[in-house]
Amino acid sequence: MSFTGSLKAVLTIAYKEFVHVWRDRRVLLLILVLPPFFTLVFGHAFEGTAVRDVVTMFHDADGSAESQKFADLLHGKDVLGALVEGSDNPEKVRKDINDLLQNLRDTFAWKPWTGDQKGPVNLIENGADAAVVIPKGWGQALLEGKPMAMRAVLDGSDTNTAPSVQAVLQQALGVFQLNERYELIKNLPGEVVDLGEQLTPATQHEFSSSLTPWEFDTEILYNPKLLFVDYVVPGMVGLILQLVTVTLIASTITREREVGTLSQLLVTPLRQSEIVIGKVLPYLFISMFLIAGTIAIGHLHFGIKIHEPLLLSVVCFLFLLCSLGLGLLISAFSKTQTQAIQFSVFLLLPIILLSGAFAPLSQLPISIRVFSELFPLTHFCRAFRSVNMYRADFGFISTDLLALAAGAVITCIGAAFLLRTAED
Amino acid sequence: MPKPLIVLNDLSKKFGHTAAVDKISMSIGEGEVFGFLGANGAGKTTTIRMLCGLAKPTGGSASIDGLDVWRDRFRIRSKFGYVSQRFSLYGDLTVRENLRFFAGAYRQNHVNDRVARMVKEMDLEPYRDTRAGKLSGGYKQLLSMACALIHEPALLFLDEPTAGLDPVHRQTIWDFLYQVTQSGTTIFVTTHYMDEAERCTDVGFVQHGRLVAKGSPRELKQGLGGDMLEVHVEPPMPAVLELRKFPGVAGVDLRSGRLRVHAADPHGLVEQWHRSWPFPGLKWLGYSWVEPDMEDVFNAYAQGHHLQNQNQGQVEAAVK
Repeated sequence: MSFTGSLKAVLTIAYKEFVHVWRDRRVLLLILVLPPFFTLVFGHAFEGTAVRDVVTMFHDADGSAESQKFADLLHGKDVLGALVEGSDNPEKVRKDINDLLQNLRDTFAWKPWTGDQKGPVNLIENGADAAVVIPKGWGQALLEGKPMAMRAVLDGSDTNTAPSVQAVLQQALGVFQLNERYELIKNLPGEVVDLGEQLTPATQHEFSSSLTPWEFDTEILYNPKLLFVDYVVPGMVGLILQLVTVTLIASTITREREVGTLSQLLVTPLRQSEIVIGKVLPYLFISMFLIAGTIAIGHLHFGIKIHEPLLLSVVCFLFLLCSLGLGLLISAFSKTQTQAIQFSVFLLLPIILLSGAFAPLSQLPISIRVFSELFPLTHFCRAFRSVNMYRADFGFISTDLLALAAGAVITCIGAAFLLRTAED
Repeated sequence: MPKPLIVLNDLSKKFGHTAAVDKISMSIGEGEVFGFLGANGAGKTTTIRMLCGLAKPTGGSASIDGLDVWRDRFRIRSKFGYVSQRFSLYGDLTVRENLRFFAGAYRQNHVNDRVARMVKEMDLEPYRDTRAGKLSGGYKQLLSMACALIHEPALLFLDEPTAGLDPVHRQTIWDFLYQVTQSGTTIFVTTHYMDEAERCTDVGFVQHGRLVAKGSPRELKQGLGGDMLEVHVEPPMPAVLELRKFPGVAGVDLRSGRLRVHAADPHGLVEQWHRSWPFPGLKWLGYSWVEPDMEDVFNAYAQGHHLQNQNQGQVEAAVK
């Protein structure tokens, strides 16, 4: 049989399948509306991971000038003038301080202390998420250079909030102490300064160096703005498309088996390969369109930048092909449409949880990660993020691409084979 | 005898321990209209599915035009058409789209011409853009046949094409089948309407997977050994039940108010009943001899087999 003959046969089936989808208006509406809609909803659901408005009780037991100043800082007031003045790069320090103040104002929603100020703190009873106490004698201890711990009570049941609050408190305290040191230097008596002039330049330098705080020049790689959305949206797009492709195509062969058209199809000279390819084509077309649409929403609405569109298209193409093959395999394997949907659900559940669409795969134990490698979504998420967030090239993601291609070929051949034998 | 087109040789199909088709051997000649008769579950559909290469025989073999139905199934697919038992077309596609699809699937050229011609031949013109799922039962069946014939095969399998149709549509379908045979197409049709069996050139009876009789309708009727006894008894309904219990009676059917009696020795029965009428609650009004029809043939084979089983049961009981 000629190639053009086969091509015509494939197109005959593809056209028919397309008409099925086109005429099933309810499903058509579903697959056109839900993926973009889900992308919007899920995107926003996972966007707001920054800790905000933590209800925090505050008590200043010290009542010194120092403690008042630190309390002002915690409440977002700028008390760090000395730090800016004393810096070599005042502009940068000013900006960092403003960021910190903004962060403090965002993080905390202060409320006055209620109830007992000593002894154990009951956060739940007081309707608070955290509590901060400046202990008596703290200001004096600071001046004398004797460290005195400040008291912070955090709700550890919220694994996200507690470390964030702790970090911001730590940062505020560190910056405050630096500022105090600058003020100290600024207010040194004239004699000390004169005395310093007499030192050798080398000693002078050493001395001032030990007084100048060493700052971390922190630079965040890969996801500089720490946008969770950049990480999550590709996973979500993949997840939605995984769901849509598998469930859509899973019913195509079983429907024909239930209605009886499969027998009719199998007595024609159509080959199994032609049937399989003809069935995959229209769904591939539709799902490529869908994935482009959902990624466009990620770009336009969530501001996710798309790098290397060509390479990403290859990733998407192979992922969809592999997913459709998987759905078709389920379809050829199931006896009824109900069975096909049940199989799909049971397969999709581990895919959702173990593919790394939301949580990094590295958090999973190695024995589970072996299973993860079996899912097309795992390879899609890794390849997509590698390219889009880490600027990886073709060589870097070739293993994932190869896995997706192999998955597509194996599942399609399996489906074709099952078509042939499934009749008895 | 025309040249054999389909040859079955001990063709068998077992599902577990149940033999759905049990060593059927027969041959069907070119150009014949072969009626495959039997009760539901007798093995008609399984036989057709094996002949179409949709089910693998578990024993024996069959060939179409010299090609094995299983081994060479991919080669013979373009040679026949198959209309399955249920309506098996795409309900969301229109009449013409269905035809076009099957024309494409059978790799035909000039698809549009073919479809247009078929629509015309089948009188489907007014419905050509109607979705197949919205057609009435008769038109659905016509469309199924049109799809199975779109590639002009030399052989057409039909699995109960008239089941559930009204007499008018049944007539239409048969008229069309005659039209198809004009061009020399062989037809293999299963049915359980006995009047349709009369229309076949050759008939095979299958029961519990076994072929119990095969021949032309005339041969089969003659095989019954003469005319049928028809008695006139009042009231007829209770009479059917009473007469069936009488020793020597194999079966009783009510036809137009008369009782048709199947028996090994009907003449003996009439003599016996003339001497003394054994049913005090029933009134004997006379009897006549009528020519058997296919339904009688079918009943004779069905009940004969049943009788045999009963005898076997009695023998087994006696042995114990």
